[in-house]
Amino acid sequence: MDHAMRFAEPDSIEEVLSLLAADPEARCLAGGATLVAMMNAGLTAPSLLVSLRKLPGLASIDPQADGAVRVGAMARHATVAAHDGFAGAQAILAAAARRIGHPAIRTMGTIGGSISHADPSADYPTAITAADAVVEIAGPEGARAVPADEFFVDWLETALAPGEIVTGVVVPPDATDAAVHYEKFTRADGDFATVAAAACVALAEDGAVAALRVAAGGVAPTPIRRREAEAALIGRPLTEDGLAALGAALADLSDPIDDMRGSADYRRRLLPRIVGRAVRRAAAAFTARSGARSGTGPQAGGVA
Amino acid sequence: MTAELDEDALVPLRVTVNGRAQALACGGGETLLTLLRERLGLTGAKRGCNQGLCGACTVLLDGQPVRACLTVAATCADRRVETAEGLLRGARLSPVQQALVDGGAVQCGFCTPGMTMALTALLRAEPRPDAARVREALSGHLCRCTGYVKIVEAALAAAEAQAQKGADGAAAGDADARAEGAAP
Amino acid sequence: MSADGDAPTSVGLSSPRIDGAEKAGGKAKYADDLSAPDMLYGAIATSPIPAGRILGYDLSEARAVPGVVAVLTAEDLPQRRVGSFVKDETTLARGRVRYVGEPVAAVAAETREAAELAAQLVLVDYEETPAVCSLDEALAADAPRVHPEQADYARQGDAAAEGNVFWSAEIVEGDPDAAWAECDVVVEEVYETPAQYHAYMEPCSALVEPDLGGRFTVRSAAQSIFYLQGRISEELDLPMARIRCVAPRIGGGFGGKNGVNVQPIAVALARVAERPVKITLSRSQDIEMLRSRHPARIRMKTGAKADGTLVAREAELWFDAGAYVDESPAVMSFGLLCSRGPYRCPNVRVRGHAVYTNKLKAGSFRGFGNPQATFASESQLDALARRLGLDGLALRRRNAMAPGDHWLGGQRVDACAMRECLDALEARMAAEVPALPPPEEGWARGVGVSGLSHISGLMGTSAAVNLRSDGTVALSTGVVDIGQGSDTVLPQICAEALRLPPEAVAYAAQDTDSSPYNWKTAASRITYTAGRAVMQATVEMRQRILEHAAELLECGVGDLELAPGGAVRIAGSDRSVSFREVAARAFNRIGGPIMGQHAFAFDGPRFDPKRAAMSNFAFDNLGVYVFGAVGLVADVDRETGKIVVQKVWSAHDIGRAVNPQSAEGQVQGAVVQGLGYALLEELIWEDGRLANPSFMDYKIPDGLDAPAAITPILVEDAPEETGPFGAKGVGEAGIVGVAPALANAVADAVGVRLTRIPMTSERVLDAIEGRASEAPASRTA
Ligand SMILES: Cc1cc2nc3c(=O)[nH]c(=O)nc-3n(C[C@H](O)[C@H](O)[C@H](O)COP(=O)(O)OP(=O)(O)OC[C@H]3O[C@@H](n4cnc5c(N)ncnc54)[C@H](O)[C@@H]3O)c2cc1C
Ligand code: FES
Ligand code: FES
Repeated sequence: MDHAMRFAEPDSIEEVLSLLAADPEARCLAGGATLVAMMNAGLTAPSLLVSLRKLPGLASIDPQADGAVRVGAMARHATVAAHDGFAGAQAILAAAARRIGHPAIRTMGTIGGSISHADPSADYPTAITAADAVVEIAGPEGARAVPADEFFVDWLETALAPGEIVTGVVVPPDATDAAVHYEKFTRADGDFATVAAAACVALAEDGAVAALRVAAGGVAPTPIRRREAEAALIGRPLTEDGLAALGAALADLSDPIDDMRGSADYRRRLLPRIVGRAVRRAAAAFTARSGARSGTGPQAGGVA
Repeated sequence: MTAELDEDALVPLRVTVNGRAQALACGGGETLLTLLRERLGLTGAKRGCNQGLCGACTVLLDGQPVRACLTVAATCADRRVETAEGLLRGARLSPVQQALVDGGAVQCGFCTPGMTMALTALLRAEPRPDAARVREALSGHLCRCTGYVKIVEAALAAAEAQAQKGADGAAAGDADARAEGAAP
Repeated sequence: MSADGDAPTSVGLSSPRIDGAEKAGGKAKYADDLSAPDMLYGAIATSPIPAGRILGYDLSEARAVPGVVAVLTAEDLPQRRVGSFVKDETTLARGRVRYVGEPVAAVAAETREAAELAAQLVLVDYEETPAVCSLDEALAADAPRVHPEQADYARQGDAAAEGNVFWSAEIVEGDPDAAWAECDVVVEEVYETPAQYHAYMEPCSALVEPDLGGRFTVRSAAQSIFYLQGRISEELDLPMARIRCVAPRIGGGFGGKNGVNVQPIAVALARVAERPVKITLSRSQDIEMLRSRHPARIRMKTGAKADGTLVAREAELWFDAGAYVDESPAVMSFGLLCSRGPYRCPNVRVRGHAVYTNKLKAGSFRGFGNPQATFASESQLDALARRLGLDGLALRRRNAMAPGDHWLGGQRVDACAMRECLDALEARMAAEVPALPPPEEGWARGVGVSGLSHISGLMGTSAAVNLRSDGTVALSTGVVDIGQGSDTVLPQICAEALRLPPEAVAYAAQDTDSSPYNWKTAASRITYTAGRAVMQATVEMRQRILEHAAELLECGVGDLELAPGGAVRIAGSDRSVSFREVAARAFNRIGGPIMGQHAFAFDGPRFDPKRAAMSNFAFDNLGVYVFGAVGLVADVDRETGKIVVQKVWSAHDIGRAVNPQSAEGQVQGAVVQGLGYALLEELIWEDGRLANPSFMDYKIPDGLDAPAAITPILVEDAPEETGPFGAKGVGEAGIVGVAPALANAVADAVGVRLTRIPMTSERVLDAIEGRASEAPASRTA
């Protein structure tokens, strides 16, 4: 069947879009880490592979004038993991990228491929949801931008219309200069998450929470967030009760499944604990970074 | 549905494999692993899972470790591929390969070529990694025989040997030192 | 070589593997690396249902795929059932299918794609019948029978077959019924162990080349060329003379390549296609079609005096054998034999049952029934020690076997360093455990130990050596190196017996046309059993060398000794002749090389009917027991249940380490395989179908999951008199005590004992929080 599959590697977006438009069985190929694995398992057999490798500007990570960072769809996980131009909450992308699979997977896989596949146990979907990133899309009808929240629609389903591709992910600037932590619980090294949480935390001088964003993955068909529960913690010191309330709010929204990585019940129990860890560690990182120890240490560094 | 050879779908491909430029043709969905093993007879890269999960097929693409089983061959146009066979200088093993043999890190050997490529990439980028870095670089490479201990020890020994050689005054650049330096 | 009188020339040296360079260089050829001109690709169509009748086939679509050359079903093959203990298997399913993944039809085609497509297009008309996919279902009173025709099968003995139980066996010593009254404390528990997949890195593969004389050359991933030859002959009704099996490099086996896998199917295809055929399984097919370790349920009861002296042990073992008998009677019997462990205990009754279920076959796997039994036994000893307020090591030492004691079944054991292993383990742990960095906050640390034991002698083997005209040696055995290192270790034994360096011995590749017989690379038997044959063959040749040398030097044979490096000298003088001169003389005098050969079947002490009553035990004899102890430190995350093993020590009564580096590697590999078994690995069935047949869902430890520190401790205090240079085997023992040591460490860390493995994070958390586990599992419990 291999032999019947065609291959194209155009060097313009227009050409990619017209190839995809002409053939509904065509698929675009990024790193191949997911698509080729599925082809090898006999789960899919596209008629045409349209490689995005030669598209100009898709592999780079570029700062924007307003402090946002645009990560090209073809940026490899390893590139994002090593990128030091992220500021504040933006860095959650690098933290998540470092936890994806293994070294060779990180040299192959791309952010565009990962979010387009939209596995809720994957790491980027959760991270870009926490970062309030916006997904840039190009398609036959032109370009558009969709917030991460709306991009992930269901299990393995995104807001992409047929023939559309992701061109990049724009991560907005973070005025609060939050510190981040990506907490990933797996059965074994390099596995997809059983439960993961991405946390971005900034603290005020007095140790009160100044900014908080938390997304959880592996517990629902898409990454989940509870903005009102995040808001409820702002302006107060971080406490175990506060974290428990946030965890409970997320657990309410969760809709986990039973699979080889754990039962739904186990995931539900892990969720608040993993969220708690993510937030505590992000807060501790914030404290360590700002060196503002006095008064805030106990609450921030390790919640009693 | 048709499995017959569709010549139209063959993609011309120029690729440098183990230092030799090749002009080939491959299927549109053919993987680099199939290309290496079945078209070029380079069977050093092994097919342990065909799913990216075992690491046995790992080769270097432009110097970076990738899973050959997940790499569409046609995307390798004008790029450099290195396999375990390509590290040999005649019958002489590379320092990493030699260290694995000497260190008792090779049992059934099925994982060894993939491990070798990951370690080669690591030591080129980071000549003196510690044990934790070595384990990190080898993560995702499954070995069912050794329990990994001797593989990590061998990698550290290879780094040590390379550093010794450097200290012994091999003036040549990194890559040359690797190629030439092992003369007995 | 130095002139130093007694220094070993080969044994005890960590010589690098002779096949290491070609493996590291990517040049070693495993079965799938081979091809032949005009070769076809084979593919196998498998059953999609766990149980059913085959009503008919429609092969027209498969045959219509361009490039397809042959399509076979059971109707095209000889009408015979095969099997070592019970003849219940056919090459392709005949009449009935009994598990999802069972081969039903086979295709050969010009390309792999065409073969795979055609295999998918084989249409089989099934009538689904009720399946039993767990022990409970199989043992239920009105359970459907996996083999309704069971009564018609040819079999060894009746072995108390009943319903889906096809083999029950028992060993009784002393008077266990009366003994319970003497005990101060009794513990009883049910233990459960999973179906573990071998996960050798090389999926099974075979290349078969027919020649014009009607002979087939088979190069395949198999642990024995001779067993394979016999089995292909039996399945396909071909005389052995028409089957030649040759061993390429093998990418691991661990017992999983012990039996046949795809070879008979590949031969059958090559026979009709009259062209070479290669079949290489995908990883998923390899998992679904072949074998696992037996899932087991073990009810065990142990009684002791207040001082810890063991008084009585009772156990009942149920081994879930899957759809065909295969080697199950042997595995289950061996599990029984190991159910007392390496301890004195005068009153024992152990009973075992092997049970058919509609799942893939369970077969031999490193440890061969022993890891299951030992998980129960060593977990229970720890529970007992806790109840008595005794230290676990002390309890084991109090009861440990010593030289002159008897194994369960009555065999006397003379070489036994069990106590030395416990001492060595204790000393190392006492020094090194406190030096470990403390656990992370929120994690609890535990220390666990387990005793262990295994065998290293059974069945038959042979070896042949000859002295080449240049004075070097050619050695040949039928032992296939599946990665365990026999290609290096056996020549080392031969070399040492001749005081040669290892490189002076050339070792022949294994080929049924020319190699001397060997049973299988299995049961840790190679270093001892094959090593002993190599030793004896070499000693025989050495004697002839001395005789020739005596004539050359005009002295008596008794005046001579070997000098290191290939020479014979008159003892205490410098008059010598080289092997080359001796060889030259032999070629002149006897027209060929000096040769030696030796064949033997394992001949150790036998079971003793005066000490033990044994019924339906599946082995005639086996032995050369090895002993050991394993300890580890594990941290448990109280919030998630995750376990991280920090360090492992594994002490082994190895007799003599022929190649210490190789022995260490075997131990380290076995420990990690054992940790996989204890922590992660479990094949899971849902509605009769495997739910995790890939490395995505079935996880084995990688280098970050495995502990960074695994310290083998090789104890050479009790050389085996009959073994080569005192050596015993070590290939399997390393896995045996790992799971119970970890369960014991977890109990130590968090105060709850898991009686079921793998101890997934979820099960551990459930145990810590006192909940009934909902962790994914097959419907077995
Ligand atoms: C062994 C292994 C372990 C892994 N572990 C993890 C892990 O721990 N965490 C994790 O998050 N992921 C993991 N992954 C997945 C990995 O991150 C993949 O790289 C990623 O999911 C897909 O990215 P890709 O670039 O390889 O995409 P591809 O495989 O090329 O494509 C994936 C899908 O997205 C489509 N697509 C690709 N790019 C675009 C685009 N720009 N626009 C629209 N559609 C597009 C393709 O058509 C295809 O349907 C693992 C993968 C493997 C093989
Ligand atoms: S074969 Fe490519 S990772 Fe296993
Ligand atoms: S040496 Fe056998 S898998 Fe690594």
